[in-house]
Amino acid sequence: MALGIESNTALQQVLAGMEDQRKNIASGQKKGYLFIAGGVAILILSFVLGFPIPGFIGIVALGIFGGIKLSSAYSEQSIYRNQYKRDVIGAALKFLDQSLTITPNSGIGEHEFRHCQLFNTDPDRYSTEDLVTGTAGKTDFYFAEVHAEYKTVTQTKNGTRTEWHEIFKGIIFVADFNKNFNGVTVVRPKDFGAALGAWFSKNVFSFGGNDVVKLENTDFDKTFVTHGSDQVEARYILTPVMMERILNLNHQSKYTISLSFIGSRMYIAFPLERNYFEAPVFKSLLDPTIMDEDITVIKFMYDIVKELDLNTRIWGKA
Amino acid sequence: MIIVIIILVVIFLIGIFFYNLLIAKKNQVINAFSAIDVMLKKRFDLIPNLVEVVKQYTNYEQGTLTKIVELRSRATSGNISNAEKAELDAQLSSSVKGLMVNIENYPDLKSNTNFINLQSTWTESEEQIAAARRTYNSAVTDYNNSIMMFPGSLFAGMLNFQPIAVLETAAEERKNISAKELFNN
Repeated sequence: MALGIESNTALQQVLAGMEDQRKNIASGQKKGYLFIAGGVAILILSFVLGFPIPGFIGIVALGIFGGIKLSSAYSEQSIYRNQYKRDVIGAALKFLDQSLTITPNSGIGEHEFRHCQLFNTDPDRYSTEDLVTGTAGKTDFYFAEVHAEYKTVTQTKNGTRTEWHEIFKGIIFVADFNKNFNGVTVVRPKDFGAALGAWFSKNVFSFGGNDVVKLENTDFDKTFVTHGSDQVEARYILTPVMMERILNLNHQSKYTISLSFIGSRMYIAFPLERNYFEAPVFKSLLDPTIMDEDITVIKFMYDIVKELDLNTRIWGKA
Repeated sequence: MIIVIIILVVIFLIGIFFYNLLIAKKNQVINAFSAIDVMLKKRFDLIPNLVEVVKQYTNYEQGTLTKIVELRSRATSGNISNAEKAELDAQLSSSVKGLMVNIENYPDLKSNTNFINLQSTWTESEEQIAAARRTYNSAVTDYNNSIMMFPGSLFAGMLNFQPIAVLETAAEERKNISAKELFNN
């Protein structure tokens, strides 16, 4: 494990205690599904043999039994899941820095998601969890998992069809920025649409609001499109060194990150494929690599403050 | 005949479009320069306070203080060109940097709240000026590109738009201000 936390005896005891719980849940789930599968098998067999009535009785009986097993296993899993986040992830966070805490059922609110302007589209379905808060040096920060989607409704022959599309899935990191600013500066990945929009607003017509900020760093300009309400302020925030640091941070992420600077805070969105900080059900808790990925993410978030040098507070902001 | 008129009207409209575009870009340059001017003024305004605070604690920096006051009064006298103002600002900036380094020898001054505030406001203004200069250069590059590239170059030639030189960035401005280097905290 990245932090050497595997040698922490208190955590090992917690994990050992939870391992029995995990085995119970895993076996409960397996049994539940087996009963349901058995019921379906009997039904098919009875149809093949020409005695459908016993088949129906079989599926109803086994289905009810399997369903009860499953529902009890899932309700136990939700307790187990929360305990894992609180006791195991919580301990790993404290091990890294005493100020770090996790609140599994909190997150970054939908209002804040809209307010940070990282994305153009407003979500129709929004969920967030696993809020981690802390302080690294002089800088307060927090991050949480966020899943935001929008829907499209299309007319078809049989009525309407609703489809859900992803706006963002991953972690949003928020930190108190080390400089004073009043406006809005947004740095988004340069995909085709963004590049076209930027060219249009720069050369033909600006739609008002935030204009494109053309920055000198060519790598930065190739990777991102920057919009700002104040050209000078955007450059005050995105100094040549800051742009290099953001590029470095971006290289460490599989997908291009987005950033925004608003209301004295900086927001960074890291698109991720999987859900982090989840307790394993079919994998042993005693496996020493079980938390590796979670710890890597936590450490990465914690190090952003250092990476972006947010603890240097010489610009008149406490 | 109608076709000729249509072509002439189209050319005329395109001409207006490019003329307005070039004017807009030129105005952006002027606007960006005034932003530098505002930032410089803000910085010059800090000098009297800085000098006052430093004076109370030190007897040995009189030479530097006198030089700083003199540079400031020359820079704010009003009848100097933009280039001279930029030059005076560069001198002023390096004198103040020198002063900040020497202040290491005065622990009382170093821990004075007023001085600490002035120090951070000064670094803030340094970086704001750097940002304003970069904004100016970006506006100039944008304008120069428009008058040198086809088809803007056609209209620029006819309407006598001249290229503008970008501001040379001082070597210190290219790197970020480091607290350690400046104040050796």
